[in-house]
Amino acid sequence: MGLRPPAGDARTGDCALTARAIRQRTLRHLSRAVPFILFIVLWQGVSAANLVNPDFLPSAVAVGTALVRLVGAHEIFDNLGTTVFTCFVGLGLGVLIGVPLGACMATSPRIDGFFSPLIKATYSLPKTALVPLLMLWFGIGGATNITVVVLAALLPLIVYTYHGVHGVPRVLVWSALAMGTPQRNLIWRIFLPAALQEIMIGLRIAMGFSFVVGISAEMIASNHGIGKLMFIYGESGAYDYMFAATISLLVVAYCADRGLVHLTNYYLRWQDSAQRND
Amino acid sequence: MNKKSKILVEDVSKEFGSDKSQVQALKNINLVVSEGEFVSIVGPSGCGKSTLLYMLGGFVPPSSGRLLADGQPIVAPGIDRGIVFQEYALFPWLTVFDNIAYGLEMTGMPAAKREKAVEHYVSLIGLKGFERRYPRELSGGMKQRVALARTFAYGPSILLLDEPFGALDSLTRETMQDELQRLWRTTGKTIVMVTHDVGEAVYLSNRVCVMSQRPGRIIEEFSIDLDRSGAREDVVLSDAYTAIHNAVWVSVRRQVTHAPGIAP
Repeated sequence: MGLRPPAGDARTGDCALTARAIRQRTLRHLSRAVPFILFIVLWQGVSAANLVNPDFLPSAVAVGTALVRLVGAHEIFDNLGTTVFTCFVGLGLGVLIGVPLGACMATSPRIDGFFSPLIKATYSLPKTALVPLLMLWFGIGGATNITVVVLAALLPLIVYTYHGVHGVPRVLVWSALAMGTPQRNLIWRIFLPAALQEIMIGLRIAMGFSFVVGISAEMIASNHGIGKLMFIYGESGAYDYMFAATISLLVVAYCADRGLVHLTNYYLRWQDSAQRND
Repeated sequence: MNKKSKILVEDVSKEFGSDKSQVQALKNINLVVSEGEFVSIVGPSGCGKSTLLYMLGGFVPPSSGRLLADGQPIVAPGIDRGIVFQEYALFPWLTVFDNIAYGLEMTGMPAAKREKAVEHYVSLIGLKGFERRYPRELSGGMKQRVALARTFAYGPSILLLDEPFGALDSLTRETMQDELQRLWRTTGKTIVMVTHDVGEAVYLSNRVCVMSQRPGRIIEEFSIDLDRSGAREDVVLSDAYTAIHNAVWVSVRRQVTHAPGIAP
């Protein structure tokens, strides 16, 4: 096993090299936009050639115009705010419950024995099916939708945390114990950091679930939110606006995902770069 | 024995598995290690020598018999017994500095004092300038140096070494053996090392215990009395070293060739 080159080489290298590296990186980022541009051009082309009925599929330009109007009217931000709040509070609560639960299940056969059957029996349940029931308890929107998001986010968080903690090499645990780590501190000092990579994968999947379920719940019953907006526009046949609302959410979800990936790479900077996320 | 006994293993046996498919790993192990002694345990792979070490560490309970450290029964891991594993077992999310500081932090040493102690060990193992590196940025030999430093740093009086240099290339291994010997000489710790490298055991230890095939028993003990004041080559090329090395090697070899299925 040879000595790896120090991690800082790319940054401390000569300026010409660094400039080229930056240029290459910018190019790589820009190249990601190519599929989107092609897609939009194709879409507009199909609409302009009248290949589909514009009542069923609005043109890309029409959707773009609708998006600009929506953003100009500020109304979209209130609804985006509601949806993002629902999704992130739900996801946050999901983390607060799911990660400790998954970790406890992995370290205690008794806790595992209790929760494992419950999770296995309920994981295929469509969480949005609970909306009508939860509405009776918590009312329309708000807590009802957050609860549904929590339930949806829980599963990937529990499963990935469980596997991550389960896979922690015993020599790490033994070393920690030999150095005087109290049993109750193992979870913070060893299990969670060692399982962080898996937990972050679970978090990324859970975030995707949160948006999907959050929007669906809003479409079923809500007074606010992008899901509600999409539902209203869809009902009234304003498909350009419906698509515009959808795109506004996609942008937010995409940014959240990128943010999470950057956060993950920062917190896992101690790992081999080959194992990092993209 | 003129010195006080530090470790006592009495009639220890260990079985693994359920009633139906039980495997006896160790059978009636007896071992006394004096304070400041360096004892190696060698034997064929799968003979249970690592299991014995894990029992001394308090990670695995014996099925019968008892183990004592400083007269106290071993029931759990304790900071009187440090352990170094073949796979280093450094915390990959901590830097070299924080890895070495970990045990000190657990003892409650204040941060300022901790920093000085870590710096001392970092320079002792020749890794100055690498304090802020993560384990993945280090070579195998450097990782094992950090693992040794981290264990020496918080000051356990007993050191348990589980094939500590088994993953290193032979040149690095020799360097590490000399460093370990230097650390042992300067600190006077009691060391129990498990290895399958006869040369390593003879070169480093006061005493070598040879274990049998599973179920593991200690079948032969060799006292090693070599003049270690000279350089490595003076020791390794001496007649005394060759004689004892060959004797131990033959003893281990007999165990390997007696293995069921491999017997000539």
